[in-house]
Amino acid sequence: MEVFLMALTTGIMVGGIYALVALGWVLIYKCSGVLNLAMGEMTLIGAYVSLSFYSMGIPFILALLFSLIVGLVLGILTERIFLDKLIGEPVLTVIMVTVGLSFFFKGSVELIWGTDTRVFTPPVFSIEPTHIGPLVIGQVYLWSFLAAIILLIIFVGFFKYTRWGLAMQACADDEMAALSLGVSARFVYAAAWAIAFMAAGVGGTLLGNINGLNISVGYLGLLVLPAVVLGGLNSVPGAIVGGIAIGILQNLCGTYLDKYFPGGIKEIAPFVFMAVFLLFKPHGLWGWERIERV
Amino acid sequence: MSTTWLPCSVYHQDYAQDHRWWQTKFIKGKMILLFVILFVVIPLVADSYLLSICNLIGYTVLGALGVQLLIGFCGQITLGHAAFIAVGAYTSTLLILEFPWPKFMLDYGIAYPVSIIIAAVVAGIWSVLFGLPSARVKGFYLILTTMAAQFITVDFIITQYVSQIGGRGQAFSLPPGTIKVGPWVIDSELKVYFIMLIMVILCVIIMVNLLRSSVGRAWVAIRDNDISAEVMGINVFKYKLMAFYVAGFIGGIAGAFWISNLAAISPEHFPWFWSLWLVGVILIGGVGSIHGAVFGSIFMVVVMEGLQLAVIPLADIYPKLFIDFLYIKEAAFGLAICVFMIFEPKGLAYRWWQMKNYFNLWPFSY
Repeated sequence: MEVFLMALTTGIMVGGIYALVALGWVLIYKCSGVLNLAMGEMTLIGAYVSLSFYSMGIPFILALLFSLIVGLVLGILTERIFLDKLIGEPVLTVIMVTVGLSFFFKGSVELIWGTDTRVFTPPVFSIEPTHIGPLVIGQVYLWSFLAAIILLIIFVGFFKYTRWGLAMQACADDEMAALSLGVSARFVYAAAWAIAFMAAGVGGTLLGNINGLNISVGYLGLLVLPAVVLGGLNSVPGAIVGGIAIGILQNLCGTYLDKYFPGGIKEIAPFVFMAVFLLFKPHGLWGWERIERV
Repeated sequence: MSTTWLPCSVYHQDYAQDHRWWQTKFIKGKMILLFVILFVVIPLVADSYLLSICNLIGYTVLGALGVQLLIGFCGQITLGHAAFIAVGAYTSTLLILEFPWPKFMLDYGIAYPVSIIIAAVVAGIWSVLFGLPSARVKGFYLILTTMAAQFITVDFIITQYVSQIGGRGQAFSLPPGTIKVGPWVIDSELKVYFIMLIMVILCVIIMVNLLRSSVGRAWVAIRDNDISAEVMGINVFKYKLMAFYVAGFIGGIAGAFWISNLAAISPEHFPWFWSLWLVGVILIGGVGSIHGAVFGSIFMVVVMEGLQLAVIPLADIYPKLFIDFLYIKEAAFGLAICVFMIFEPKGLAYRWWQMKNYFNLWPFSY
């Protein structure tokens, strides 16, 4: 029971980070209809940027803030340079451009920062575990979860209550209607990419704090895909639930199935689960079912 | 796009002419010239470095043909094709290493060709297994299931279990002399080159013939609009699975062929990167044409080799550059896909088609 609860809590905490990144993904999809496969590499860039700032001696919070700003700029640039020209192109074209982007980002990251595992030195969060009742949880997980939840609340509040957020909601709901009411679609797209980049950067930084930072963090970023599929591609609550569910699933599988399938089950389980899940619910939990006509 | 206009004053009078592979004397001459170059001139002229590039091109063509079939002709976007190539390669290797072949089969060199066929069939069945979700899902969801195929097959099953067979450790090495076709032991680039040519030509013939039969027309109908295809009475699920099977089959051939060139295979030869690379190849070459798979392969391999040649002199000045080449290659590949998708979305095959038609009517184009 102890073990189960431990795995469950760790799963929820890591899942919080996935939820944050998945939110960024869903945002891009909802607002501009782009299925983004470069999300893993976006987490990587944000993580490395904040690591660079942190190792310059800047306090962690400030480093995170700077990486948010860099994410904002990079997001807008990416949208303007690559995605802006592809509005109205077939789905495959847009997907492959994001795949191309993911290679470009990954190659650049490897070129600039190398492939060795880097850690945040000195450690941002103390190594001493905290005790909550019978549970022992690393402080990294706790703080990461808190940070992810705070950012999630900020982002959701942004959509619900600010003018820009409402513009994005309108655009996601019905682009034509939003355009005719004077909402600038180009602004919305750029904002969606900027926010996604920022969310991915924070997610990557937190993931990098847990296990050290190398290229495989980008792979963890790829886990948002099972998460968003689970929740439904165009549902923000779905992304959050899906992210947490994938975190839990991953940790439970890592704890219980590792004996039977040694090595790698933790990384594979979300994808296996996703493939099976799709057979039963092809649109995720809360995704829109499109009725297709000839 | 795949049809070429006939030159002025050439008219078909019966269906046999319409169905001909090479419809005019000029095309026939051109193709014979191409075969002469491929079979005679290149082997005579090229050194082993050039031949190795040709082999790489051939391997890429074989891989890309399957992807082209799925994406370009049947509309089922796949990002996990390297998994099926890996299945083919591992099946063939394991058959060669572990299967108790009768003595005469080894002596006459039938073992490797037979293992290629078995590998192709196994890869095809494996591909159908991961094509099953296509009954219910399509578009982005299907992309994710093919991605799952890649991770499950290569990163999990092959790395964790298949590699353990025989206790050889991570990489399976093929002792020299085990790969034998007929009386020839495949041990030089030149022999690999001939196997490659035969495989590529066979696979292209299979593909072209399938595409001009009712199966191919059903695939194209599914690609264009799967609902209307169903309304017209095409069994969509069956034909989708068939597309997955043929694509996996060709992928298996590609993998089984490639082990003749590799001294040892390991799961690192079939990363997810390779799946994406193949999709990139057909996008650059042109979606929905067999020329596209060939041109894309030639373009990508030659450009990457050129990049490497450009980097080597610079490496004396910046030694770090040489180590970083892999990353430069990755970034360049990504950028190339983006640029092609934005500026040349129809690919190289479209330019080729335009050029051909221009010269068909030359000098009196309308």
